[in-house]
Amino acid sequence: MATSTLTFVIVGQEDHPIYEVDLTGPKEQQTQYLHQFVLHASLDAVDEQMWLSKEPHLKVVDRFNGLNVTAFVTPGNTRFLMLHDGRSDDAIRAFFTEVYELYIRVMLNPFHSPTSRITSREFDRKVKLLAKRLIG
Amino acid sequence: MAGLPPVPSPGVVGKKPARRCAEVCLELLCAESVRLFHDKQSGPAAAAALEAVGYRVGQQLAERYTRDKPRLGDTLEIIKFVCKDFWQALFKKQVDNLKTNHRGVYVLQDNGFRWLQRLSPPGPGADPGREEAARQLALSYLHLPAGIVRGALCHLGVTCTVEADPKQMPSCTFTIRIMA
Repeated sequence: MATSTLTFVIVGQEDHPIYEVDLTGPKEQQTQYLHQFVLHASLDAVDEQMWLSKEPHLKVVDRFNGLNVTAFVTPGNTRFLMLHDGRSDDAIRAFFTEVYELYIRVMLNPFHSPTSRITSREFDRKVKLLAKRLIG
Repeated sequence: MAGLPPVPSPGVVGKKPARRCAEVCLELLCAESVRLFHDKQSGPAAAAALEAVGYRVGQQLAERYTRDKPRLGDTLEIIKFVCKDFWQALFKKQVDNLKTNHRGVYVLQDNGFRWLQRLSPPGPGADPGREEAARQLALSYLHLPAGIVRGALCHLGVTCTVEADPKQMPSCTFTIRIMA
């Protein structure tokens, strides 16, 4: 049975995750650890690509065992990472753009500090809705 | 920030006009915040508190105003962004003069700083005591914008200190020292 992979992580300026969600529903422990590991290991690859291009949307930056990592970098050096198994690049790009909008709103909240985890349930709900709508 | 058109959201066309706010509200808010902090704490503590408030605001504003722009490369580009787009959005004009000693010190000069416009400068020929008092007063109003500039720069990756100096009211300079 093939389980699809779609994990989304927002990494803050100090390279710590401020938001993580598994968009295909809860997984078993082992897979979760693996996904986390792959995403954090890909941060180096994201850095390399960042130095090459000024575009916020970076395409696939890293591959592991059939899983791809696509990245988006904001001017404030926050990275959005998506771990997937070969989804459409355009869909992920559209998803990143919409999440960027939501992310700015969270950042503008005076009660939220830029380095703390995003705990807003609304944000979580909207991200999941967006993923369902745009990536399927 | 009051009185500024909100950042246009993509794909929203022909909706009801965006809500606006009179700019005097911002001026009154700044003046009142200076007074409030100086009443609650004395001297340097109030300055530090105002600067810290400005720091948070600066971080958030930087996030907002860099929205659809391409990523900025080196320090000089970030400072130029602050001088042009950021200043334009906040103070409705660009910085008038940018000097650097190429060793990590940048001086931004604004002739006619918007947030000092309401402070009357000491008249010509005023004695040095009056001038000094006026300068101290202007300085207390500059902690907040200095904090905003520092917050914006730090959020974009430039660790620095920002010092404001009201030279000839209403013009003033902001000295940015990059920390190695």
